[in-house]
Amino acid sequence: MAQEYLLLDIILWFSIYLIVALSLNIEYGYAGIPNFGRALAVLIGAIAVGGVVNRILILLLGIEGRGIIETSGTLKSTVNAMISQNPLLGLGILVLCLLIAALMGAVTGALFILPSAKLRQDYLAITLLAISEVLFLVSNYNTSIIGGYYGVSIPDVLAFVPGERRFLAFALLGVGIALLVYLFVERLLTSPYGRLLKAMRENEDVVKAFGKNILVLRIKTVALGSAIAAIAGAFYSLYSVNVIASTFFRVDWTFFPFLMLLLGGMGNNRGVVLGVFSFVIVKVLLIVYKFEIKSTLHLPFEATWLEYILFGVLMLLILYYKPDGLIKEKPVTLTPPIKHALKQKAKETSGR
Amino acid sequence: MAVLEGAVVYSNLLVLLSIGLTITYITTGVPNFAQGSMAIFGSFVSLSLWLLFNIHPYYSLPISFILGGGLGITIYTLVLKPMIRKEAMVVTLMIATLAVDLILLGVLGAYSDTLAELTGKGTKKFIFTPMDFKFAGLDAILVVSSAVILLILFALFLLLYKTKFGIALRASMENPALAEIMGVNVEYTRLFSWFLSGSLAAVAGSLLPFRQEIVPATGAIIIVSIFAASIVGGLGSIYGALIGGYIIGMSESLVTFYLSKPLGPSILLYSKVVSLIVLIIALIVSPKGIAGLDIWRKMTWRRSTSS
Repeated sequence: MAQEYLLLDIILWFSIYLIVALSLNIEYGYAGIPNFGRALAVLIGAIAVGGVVNRILILLLGIEGRGIIETSGTLKSTVNAMISQNPLLGLGILVLCLLIAALMGAVTGALFILPSAKLRQDYLAITLLAISEVLFLVSNYNTSIIGGYYGVSIPDVLAFVPGERRFLAFALLGVGIALLVYLFVERLLTSPYGRLLKAMRENEDVVKAFGKNILVLRIKTVALGSAIAAIAGAFYSLYSVNVIASTFFRVDWTFFPFLMLLLGGMGNNRGVVLGVFSFVIVKVLLIVYKFEIKSTLHLPFEATWLEYILFGVLMLLILYYKPDGLIKEKPVTLTPPIKHALKQKAKETSGR
Repeated sequence: MAVLEGAVVYSNLLVLLSIGLTITYITTGVPNFAQGSMAIFGSFVSLSLWLLFNIHPYYSLPISFILGGGLGITIYTLVLKPMIRKEAMVVTLMIATLAVDLILLGVLGAYSDTLAELTGKGTKKFIFTPMDFKFAGLDAILVVSSAVILLILFALFLLLYKTKFGIALRASMENPALAEIMGVNVEYTRLFSWFLSGSLAAVAGSLLPFRQEIVPATGAIIIVSIFAASIVGGLGSIYGALIGGYIIGMSESLVTFYLSKPLGPSILLYSKVVSLIVLIIALIVSPKGIAGLDIWRKMTWRRSTSS
């Protein structure tokens, strides 16, 4: 049982982190936008579930109570009872949550990237980090949005699944969503749009010279990336059946996705899968064996701190020794006419 | 009056941090995301000296200064220098400082737990305010932090404008390639800037517990204010950092205080929102910060031509 639990835990975290890392790969890996505020979009996804969908349900069902924290508790038990009778309702709420999260993520992402109109890469990264950090602090300390550090309860959308199967059902659901996102992102990035993003990353001026508006391209890209990351945030909240603002800390949702991306290799989705997989195995093992590590090594402190040090050092090692990651990005595949033209050119130059 | 005093103290500390951030940005070109945690390192140095050897935090400032400088040099030589040698991109270097920040957070957290076990006192959260005393009718922290600022500015001025090393330093900040041709060792100036940045951060960190409660993760929260101060100042000028630090520190404390009168004390949570708004306004009005405004260039230009 314990091993099964471990496996499901790995699968769940793998799906959640894969979605976030793929979204970051679009923005940083392909488009070269240093989004140091990834955590914001994930938090928005959680707000969509805990703050928006919760309130919609409270209004629809006419549940009364003091403040969102208490009312959401009543809501949870009422809706859970309804879902266990009517599975379709649960699935409906699930789809509604993911849609609203994606929509809110897209809008936030589009607004969030506007400072990039005027800023250079390093200024931009700082500004994005600052925006994300400030909104994190606000939603953590203001308990009327999503209950802040107390958190709000969320209905269990899979309440119709018997208790012992619930974990398995969520793991399968997570893998399903992650697979859909993967196929979508893969399809999208092998299209001309993906090549345009890479061109923007390599040389903005060339893209401008071809008549593309850089800012519009950036807005589209970050809106898309944020929508995807928000889906991950919403799914994570639905799985844990509560939203606690303090779990959306910068380390977990900005730094770790960057680590997975750089570990696997930027700019290619297979690399991202490998990076997320290796990271999640280490992370889940560290969480599960936290107390064993603490007692066998006789640590006088929490194993979480050790985790931070370990992942920080890992990041530095990757940056220094393997900046391309485990799987290197492949050059853009050329279409036959361009290949032909290049060959002709090569012949001409060698003939001379 | 107490609010104004608190605002001045906070601004003083913010100035120390943003000068440190700016000076390493000028010499190495990396915005250092670990600046906040470097300050919290200083807080823990003072806390340990107080708990273990009963040294008052004011007396431990020199030790903080030296140890913080050591930390700065360690970060530069172990992490950034090898990467700069490999011609890493700016974003890569920024991610590296984020990693350093995480490592520092882990080390400080582990140290805080260990210290609690050693001394048998709770050190997860701490504050020095009860140890403060009155000096000439004012809180000692106001006097000490202002004195530290004046001393450091004076020393920096002497160093930069009155010594040969200072000339070399300024030259390598303005144009590293040219300075190198003229025989200046740019490496020394980088080492020096990281020493100074680390030591100023640690000193600010030693004084910060007199104003707010410290936990190992405090660095991650104050980094927003530090960056806001440096960017408002222009991220490329020490004077800019000085002015930016006061603008952000004052507005963060005073705006939230005056808003809390009509709107209630819950508004006090939004102090960081104020710095974010000031930061965004500054970026829209003048993307190069206060030091990049045209008036200054005109003024300095006029001065240099008239003399």
